[in-house]
Amino acid sequence: MGGFWIYGQWQEGRFHPVVYELLSVARRLKPALKEKIVVVVLGPEDRREEARELLRYGAEEVLFFVHPDLGYFRDDLYSEVLSEAVAERKPAVFLFGATAEGQALAPRVAGALGLGLTAHCTAFEVDEEGRLLQIRPSFGENIMARIVSKTRPQMATVKPGVFSKAEPVDEPEGVLEEVKLAAVPGSALRRRVVRTLPRKESPLSRARVVVAGGRGLLRRENFDQLFELAELLGGAVGATRPVCHLGWISEDHMIGVSGETVSPKLYIGFGISGALQHTVGIEGAEVVVAVNSDPEAPLMKRADIAVVGDATRILPLLIRRIRELKG
Amino acid sequence: MHFIVCLKPVPKPGAVKVDPETHTLRRESAELILNPPDLYALEMAVALKEKHGGKVTALMMGPPNAADLLREAYALGADEMVLLSDRAFAGSDTLATSYVLSQAIRKLEPYDLVLMGKASIDGETAQVGPETAAWLKQPSLTQVKALWPEDGLWVAVRFFEGFEEEVEFRGPAVITVEPEVNEPRPPSLKRMLAVRALEPRVLSAEDLDCNLEKTGLAGSPTQVLGVFTPSYDREREVLTGEAEEVVEKLVSLLRTRGLI
Ligand SMILES: Cc1cc2nc3c(=O)[nH]c(=O)nc-3n(C[C@H](O)[C@H](O)[C@H](O)COP(=O)(O)OP(=O)(O)OC[C@H]3O[C@@H](n4cnc5c(N)ncnc54)[C@H](O)[C@@H]3O)c2cc1C
Ligand SMILES: Nc1ncnc2c1ncn2[C@@H]1O[C@H](COP(=O)(O)O)[C@@H](O)[C@H]1O
Repeated sequence: MGGFWIYGQWQEGRFHPVVYELLSVARRLKPALKEKIVVVVLGPEDRREEARELLRYGAEEVLFFVHPDLGYFRDDLYSEVLSEAVAERKPAVFLFGATAEGQALAPRVAGALGLGLTAHCTAFEVDEEGRLLQIRPSFGENIMARIVSKTRPQMATVKPGVFSKAEPVDEPEGVLEEVKLAAVPGSALRRRVVRTLPRKESPLSRARVVVAGGRGLLRRENFDQLFELAELLGGAVGATRPVCHLGWISEDHMIGVSGETVSPKLYIGFGISGALQHTVGIEGAEVVVAVNSDPEAPLMKRADIAVVGDATRILPLLIRRIRELKG
Repeated sequence: MHFIVCLKPVPKPGAVKVDPETHTLRRESAELILNPPDLYALEMAVALKEKHGGKVTALMMGPPNAADLLREAYALGADEMVLLSDRAFAGSDTLATSYVLSQAIRKLEPYDLVLMGKASIDGETAQVGPETAAWLKQPSLTQVKALWPEDGLWVAVRFFEGFEEEVEFRGPAVITVEPEVNEPRPPSLKRMLAVRALEPRVLSAEDLDCNLEKTGLAGSPTQVLGVFTPSYDREREVLTGEAEEVVEKLVSLLRTRGLI
């Protein structure tokens, strides 16, 4: 009974990176929560060795539900197997990556068992009563909300890329518990075709330098100059949600809760107010520079270097100066 | 065929207020609009109806003044308008919302498909769709980009990260529609005029036989403890002056730190 459960999502025969990120969350919370860290994996038995690998990353147990029909994700089938496991073993916490699969699955489990579920958490704390405080940006304005669940397990989805991945442990101590299911419920869904899509791996998530623009750049022509700067610095261009919606740039350049998470050495934001929905995406940046005419803008407060001024003037001057330096 | 489309009333972006006591949205204080992602679900349903016959019911849980949004949905091609409105629904989280929607959907039987948006722009949880399916004990498919009937079954194409799949299934089912997979039509003038004479059907908790322990704040297992603005107490450099001057200072700071 009890346990800190993590959904072990597959991705092309391995585990999705977010599973390792959730493992680092669990390990960080372990001293406060004292729950056994369990990764729950569904699949056919030939995936046993991959599943065992998770023990090296700090899982204290890999709970592996085995059946030949669990070869690929089906919402109804997977949620029934998980709901039954939850009802029987009563974990204290159950986290999912906020991936397409996690977002399809977690609410089905929550709905089936009548449980609370918090979406897209970006941080966790534990209070004196041992409750998991689920933290997420909230309601449009610059606020974060601390949310608790009245039901158990305390369920949440976690945005991929926000937490670092768990490091391997020196001496794995966990065990693989294999549960061979005699039968699984039928699924109403039958897969006919799978097509791989061209990997839209955003250059943003790995970029060493990110130059981003917001509504304060005023016009698309100004925003377009960011590409020049990005090229000069060997970086990538990011944007706030409003400018994506204005059509200045496509949505895969969006940074924030609804977009990408970046962790560059240098981030420069031009004409960006710094709403939390945006800044949760730059938590991992080493040096943050903000260029804004309003010295009180939240991004200016959060920045390491706050440049007060007109971004539409500063951007071209900066490009010229760096070009000169690079000769 | 009967399609039910769930449309959420959301505060117009920029006009949100948070109640300092309950930490929930004060919806009455803001101008409401149809949740933009839901328009793709509505368009998908209306296009299916035009091709294969049947009707589209627009279903919304919201305050009484959201009725006008249902009229908007009518102008966009919906045939019936149903508003779920009751004080007992106030403060519902996604579980309680999906419970109320599922109670209403049962009342609207028979139907072939329930369509929803991918996520609401205020909550942005993307949870209500699959949760509603769970209450109804029906299949759910998320992030659907295309949908058509074939030999008595449905076929859907849906997105995952890095791949898409084509799945067949038997309805009824709950579908969430990926944004931007179609082009929502502009409202029809003829329908805008026709809807003036129509009133949405309004259903209360009692009409829906709701268990009041499952609706509103009482039925919401997630509870907002409080909100806060993160503070960043860090040392920072503030550069002011003429544009040329600050650029010069910025460049030299970045160079000393080895960043350019
Ligand atoms: C559910 C939800 C999810 C969201 N997800 C995201 C997300 O993932 N990513 C995201 O970015 N946003 C997201 N948002 C929107 C977010 O809340 C903010 O509205 C947005 O980030 C603000 O964008 P902005 O900084 O470009 O514009 P604004 O807030 O309008 O800020 C413009 C800034 O430019 C400054 N400025 C004006 N003129 C100049 C000038 N000439 N020179 C210099 N500075 C100037 C102003 O002082 C201001 O600070 C989301 C919102 C919601 C409700
Ligand atoms: N109050 C509501 N009334 C009708 N539909 C809703 C309501 N809340 C959520 N939905 C539907 O559920 C989808 C997902 O919402 P959410 O889980 O809040 O992101 C929306 O796009 C709507 O289609």
